[in-house]
Amino acid sequence: MSVIKNVIVIEDEPQIRSFVKEALENEGWNVFEAENGKRGLIEAGCRKPDLLIVDLGLPDMDGVHIIKEFRNWSAVPVLILSARTEETTKITALDAGADDYLTKPFGIGELLARVRAVTRRRLQATDAPAKVIFGNVEIDLPQHSVTRNGQAVHLTPIEYRLLVMLITNPSKILSQSRLMKEVWGPNHAESSHYLRIYMSHLRQKLENDPAQPEHLLTEIGVGYRFES
Amino acid sequence: MRQNNQLGVYVLAIFILTLVTLVSTPLHRYLDLANIVMIFLLVVFLNAHKLGRGPAIMSAVLAVALFDFFFVPPRFSFAVHDLQYLVTFLVMLCVGLVTAHLTTRLQKKTEDAEKRERDTNRLYMLARELAGATTLERIFEVVKKYLLSLGCQSALHLVDNQGNFPTLRYEVLMHDLALSALRQSSTLNISQLSNNGSQGFVVPIKSINQSFGVLILQESAAIPDDYQVNVRELEAVSDLVTITMERLHYVDLAQQTQLEATSERLRSSILSALSHDLRTPLTGLVGMSDSLAMLTETKEMKIHSAATAIRDQARTMNNLLSNLLDMARLQVGKVKLKKEWQLFEDVIGASIQLLKPALVHHPVTVQLDQDLPLINFDAVLIERVLCNLLENAAKYSPAEGAIEIRAFVNTETACISIRDHGKGFSEHNRDLLFQMFNRGDTESRLPGVGMGLAICKAIVEAHQGTISAETSNDGGAVVTIALPLGNPPEFKPEFEIEK
Repeated sequence: MSVIKNVIVIEDEPQIRSFVKEALENEGWNVFEAENGKRGLIEAGCRKPDLLIVDLGLPDMDGVHIIKEFRNWSAVPVLILSARTEETTKITALDAGADDYLTKPFGIGELLARVRAVTRRRLQATDAPAKVIFGNVEIDLPQHSVTRNGQAVHLTPIEYRLLVMLITNPSKILSQSRLMKEVWGPNHAESSHYLRIYMSHLRQKLENDPAQPEHLLTEIGVGYRFES
Repeated sequence: MRQNNQLGVYVLAIFILTLVTLVSTPLHRYLDLANIVMIFLLVVFLNAHKLGRGPAIMSAVLAVALFDFFFVPPRFSFAVHDLQYLVTFLVMLCVGLVTAHLTTRLQKKTEDAEKRERDTNRLYMLARELAGATTLERIFEVVKKYLLSLGCQSALHLVDNQGNFPTLRYEVLMHDLALSALRQSSTLNISQLSNNGSQGFVVPIKSINQSFGVLILQESAAIPDDYQVNVRELEAVSDLVTITMERLHYVDLAQQTQLEATSERLRSSILSALSHDLRTPLTGLVGMSDSLAMLTETKEMKIHSAATAIRDQARTMNNLLSNLLDMARLQVGKVKLKKEWQLFEDVIGASIQLLKPALVHHPVTVQLDQDLPLINFDAVLIERVLCNLLENAAKYSPAEGAIEIRAFVNTETACISIRDHGKGFSEHNRDLLFQMFNRGDTESRLPGVGMGLAICKAIVEAHQGTISAETSNDGGAVVTIALPLGNPPEFKPEFEIEK
């Protein structure tokens, strides 16, 4: 990864922008700043970014709008910055195509971890893996087989579909409604308790301590995330 | 007036008959008797048609007499030679009577129809006036005026929230009558209560799902003599009033809802503005001190530790801010709970995940009972409760002290208890624990303003649940939240959904 990569930071607060810029530059990113949504979209259009960081509360434009606009012509990862109170906005932003979010206030460590996660995911997405390994679980996607400690684990069709959805989007938050739609189809989108029960089944079958999961994580009020 | 009129009609009838007799006499030579009879018959018919029953009978009798006297031989005598004239007399009498009867009936019917039309028209006017009424006073006024035109004194009495009539407080009997009219949804006749024989009614004003009050009517003395208050009309009036009151009620309701929504929006926009404005500098503070700490990690130990401290303080401040804002939301407005049916394990796992940095020195164990049901709660808020409780547990127990989380069902409630191995709660301040700005130990070195538990209580109570604190036998603190079980939605096993 010696190639210099571009990131655009769309954030109206100069202090936040400045420390985000500094942290990313230390990691070898080439940072372009934008203090409002309009400027941000222009930058995004001409800088060929590899990552977009968007604050949801911009003065001139809704962050969700920027993501939608951006997603019309780019599949580059998008990271949201948001305040804690905006669960529904987060979901809308994720459904609009954002990859992950950071809750304000956040430290440098969290920022860099998220940035690494979303960009790594992009690398993986280009050459879809045949095998996913996490903890002591191994999933062979072409074979449709799941083993834990070398022992075959039986998953029901829905459990398997749900698991595949999660592991093919590592570190990405998948909103409840999206998971419901992808796994059950559009007609079941309102009975979200099914999702919770199946997630619980998956954890019981695959996690060492289902009550303190390490891989199949819940983002309360938003959705679920898989971490390898 | 009417008497004179009647007399006049009789006189008119006599006059006409006399005239006909006078006119027919000279014609006697040229016309056959049968044709003269026809003239008389025509007059009897016309009289009966125009003048009513009494004059008709009289005309028939008089016509027979006149015809007999002046034309039937022997003339100028009531004697009859030819007996067949009796048939003529009989026919004439019958025509007169039958025509009179039919005419009277027709007239009465017309009058009835006219009266009905007048009533309907009046009701229509009432409906129009009520449709324009925008206040209760206006309804009162319109109805009163209308009923007065029917000759009734009326009064509208409204029920209050307890289902009583405050305006009938001092008339016990009337109060009971009004209540029973409302209960039975039917008009009560209270005529026997009046001492001058006038009629009286209690009419309920009531829609299917709401009682508004009653209309009490008393016939006054000056009532038109052909008029009688009829119950069906009163009920039509009561229906109109009910519809109007219902309309006013819903207009009120809509306005109130709109007002509430507006103030709710205002409150929440103030809170989110506050949240944004306070959190932005904190975000800067955390980020900048963090980058300062990273920059100086190896070079300047002192600066590094200062920067780390600033960052941690800023984070603490952010937690306090979150608690404050949440408390404001919970106290100021009715927080809309986003309740969904979910599992405790999700929210427990997420809370532990969220607090990982604070829990590094405390081993956490989770014990979930088998077959915990789905519980209906707002996950974001309950996560906040668990985070606050876990944070407290970590803060108030010695390093390496274990924290035990247990989820279980207790008859009517589903519970989560969090137990630490610290000092527990002292007996005297246990009641104050959940109050705002109260801390177990006022001089504690540990930071905090004593809001965490107050918020937990507010959130749990918003879920109709309870929160309790006690000290366990081995000295640690145990905080338990209990949420009502409810009826979880059904869960069909997979193969059924697949189909």
